[in-house]
Amino acid sequence: EKGRARQVPGWGLMGGGAGNMAAGPGRSRPRQDRGLEPFLAREVRARLGATEVDCVLGKVFFSTEAELGELKKLKSGERLFLLLKKQTPLAVSRNKGKMLHDIKSLVTEEPNYWLDVISIWRNLHGYKGKKGDVSQENQLPLKRKSEEETNIATKRQKTQQVRETTSEECHVEAGERCVVPERKSDCWTESKASLEDPSKSSGEEPIVNEKLSFRVSCRCSGAIAKILTSQEIGRAIGIVLMKQFGWRADLRNPDLEIFVHLNDIHSVVGIPLFRLPLANREYIKTAGLRSTIAWAMASLAEISAGAFVLDPMCGLGTILLEAAKEWPEACYWGADISDSQLEGADVNVRTAGLMDKIELLRASVKALPLPSESFDAVISDIPFGKKFKITKDIQLFPDILQEMERVLRVGGTIVSLLSQDLHQRMNGITECAGKDSPHAISDGTSETTTAKALNVDGNSSSLVKGVDESFLSSQQTRFGFLVPDGVYGVSLGKTDAFIYRYRKISAAGNQ
Amino acid sequence: KLGHPPELPPEPTPDYEGDETFLRRLHHVLLEVEVQEGALRCPDSGRSFPISGGVPNMLLSDQEP
Repeated sequence: EKGRARQVPGWGLMGGGAGNMAAGPGRSRPRQDRGLEPFLAREVRARLGATEVDCVLGKVFFSTEAELGELKKLKSGERLFLLLKKQTPLAVSRNKGKMLHDIKSLVTEEPNYWLDVISIWRNLHGYKGKKGDVSQENQLPLKRKSEEETNIATKRQKTQQVRETTSEECHVEAGERCVVPERKSDCWTESKASLEDPSKSSGEEPIVNEKLSFRVSCRCSGAIAKILTSQEIGRAIGIVLMKQFGWRADLRNPDLEIFVHLNDIHSVVGIPLFRLPLANREYIKTAGLRSTIAWAMASLAEISAGAFVLDPMCGLGTILLEAAKEWPEACYWGADISDSQLEGADVNVRTAGLMDKIELLRASVKALPLPSESFDAVISDIPFGKKFKITKDIQLFPDILQEMERVLRVGGTIVSLLSQDLHQRMNGITECAGKDSPHAISDGTSETTTAKALNVDGNSSSLVKGVDESFLSSQQTRFGFLVPDGVYGVSLGKTDAFIYRYRKISAAGNQ
Repeated sequence: KLGHPPELPPEPTPDYEGDETFLRRLHHVLLEVEVQEGALRCPDSGRSFPISGGVPNMLLSDQEP
């Protein structure tokens, strides 16, 4: 199947991008302000043999010859697009007309290239068919012979089938569009192209006699957004596309979606490769944590064959599901205090067919019914401060960390997801410890109750004592010997979070 | 006693390591049978932990967040 020597220029777009994270007080470590790009960059190289990998502001651009099925396996990307255009940002001027003209050129400059890419897209989809779409698979030609299929009737028929049989998927997608998108700061709208007929009076015949339907989704931020709205841009692009290619606009169920991203860094145009985001996993019935982040956390845990992996606050089990799918030669245990969550996890595990890999039990993370040093990795989404402000529950954190460390063997790793709030408090404590200045709180949050809560002994002692016995320091602590080994900032949509990794070392200092 | 074939003797016989039939039954019970409804019992304290829907409840007191 890999006989075709074609390079598919493509790029992956992720929601967990660094661009989301607004600068604010207390954020003093730029190295943490990155999203899942490093994970995705690594993944496209490893899985797809991708070349020309370039990470920019939440997007990973790359080239690959991989097949659709392989592309679909990417785990740390949100959506994948075929690249139509990538260039330097548009010059911004007050002159709307000029700007719209420049934007239109984005689209009209290389029509043959567009047709090539769209041809690739059609072939990719024509060959593969949609999941579960048996009737379509049977009727399509089996090989992608040439890229120039000139049989219009056949194509139209295919298009018809695509539309009929995938109406369910489109419904899902429409529903998703209504959800608040990841980046609140940008304007994200669907633009309806004008319903005028492709005008012949422009003097330009449509280049292809295809009756493809399309929709433009435009997203703009930065200087451009101050002059033009994404609706205006989308509309303008829609009109030229209709004139140029003779396509017709369809908001509800288009064959082709054109994504346009304009910001201060670049102008990018692409076609989504799949109707559903990659983050939607067919093997997960009810997702808790975002699957891309769950997978990234599991990848940090360095799960090897025969490993024992625990999620002591597993909720719906998303982390365990992602891990067990990717690294099936390990034993996975999930514990949660909530019956209803465990029921959901149980359904998830059964749906995914992972019952022989994932063991569930109802237990408290403060008192795990598990032997000491029995796990190679402990991975968990720490629930504090995510949906609500941090409360006194944070006092539980040292107990939780202690139990997680107890069941972990020497050399094992703990991978935790902490909310922005919790992360900031951690920062304050560790920076104080580093500066050897007991009274300083570098992140500016001088809430003594919180500082007391983070005190290792759990007593309401002074801030000084809390700082001295910071459980985050790599020195000997009550938690044995947990050595920090990386922090990664990610976006959860409305808030940011941080993946922390720790390794457990032995008393003698070796692993 | 499981009420589930195959039955196991109350104690392993002295030469159990060579007893393939016994080993097969033991393997089955240990690795292929999953308790859906039942209980785990702590050999030290005698405390019983109920199993429901295949999931044991190991909480010491009934706490729901």
